[in-house]
Amino acid sequence: MPSYLETTVDKFIFRVATDRLYSAEGVWALAEGDRIRVGVTDFLQQRSGDVAFAEVKPEGTAVAAGDEVAAIETIKANVEVPSPVGGAIADVNPAMELSPEVINQDPYGQGWLAVIEASDWTTDRDALLDPQAYLELMKGQAEEEAKKL
Amino acid sequence: MSPEVRKVMVVPCSGIGKTYGTVSREAAYEVTEDLRPRSTQLVALSLLVLGDEEARAAVRAHPAVTIDGCKLTCAAKMVQESGGQVAQGIAVLDVYRRNRELKPQGIAELNEGGHLLAHAVAEEITVIVDDLVAREEAPDHA
Repeated sequence: MPSYLETTVDKFIFRVATDRLYSAEGVWALAEGDRIRVGVTDFLQQRSGDVAFAEVKPEGTAVAAGDEVAAIETIKANVEVPSPVGGAIADVNPAMELSPEVINQDPYGQGWLAVIEASDWTTDRDALLDPQAYLELMKGQAEEEAKKL
Repeated sequence: MSPEVRKVMVVPCSGIGKTYGTVSREAAYEVTEDLRPRSTQLVALSLLVLGDEEARAAVRAHPAVTIDGCKLTCAAKMVQESGGQVAQGIAVLDVYRRNRELKPQGIAELNEGGHLLAHAVAEEITVIVDDLVAREEAPDHA
């Protein structure tokens, strides 16, 4: 069970799990050896809205860092999820097919998207943000969003 | 309102400015005005929010079918807050998941997919309404 950093913007509370790294686009990467579990952040899922469908690239697909690893359709938008790491997709969350709403319900846990067998985690890791840095970035993004409301 | 004739209350969410809210309301209109006008009654969520006694009495006295456009489920919550019971809650998103070809777009004016999705929601509600009415009319209904 990860612990969380938390920030409030307008009426919204956003959490950032402290046990993983983040891309600026709101995708997390949790290292499990050379296998990297990826998913979307609490901020990204809240900003995007209720998930209708989530399609993850199939197992065996090679992705570079920044390539689309999943496409999520929500009630508000179509969201392309860029992979935070390069490698081959080793596992896809089966829940995405029948109950993609777990992305909204548990973005840092049951709502994971895929596990990627990293080809160069050491290099990719350096391009990611630690939880505190992501929290600050995300807070700025959330404040920009709040101005539009 | 004539609760002795109209037996099932249909309560759509407000969802003003939201596509799925528009689908919710359009489905409610279709059920109450076209598909089952004799056995249903539209109850405006805003009246429940305002505490309108007639609307509250209607959902307390009759089974309610709620239609919600998002996970906040405002319609279902307000029926319960008003002392009523939700006989069945419909989530527009769930209907869309079963009918992916009906992607709704637009707010003030829905696209074709939105109209068709509203119709699919309305069709699902009529099945529920018919079942509820049959139960209400059953001889052993308490």
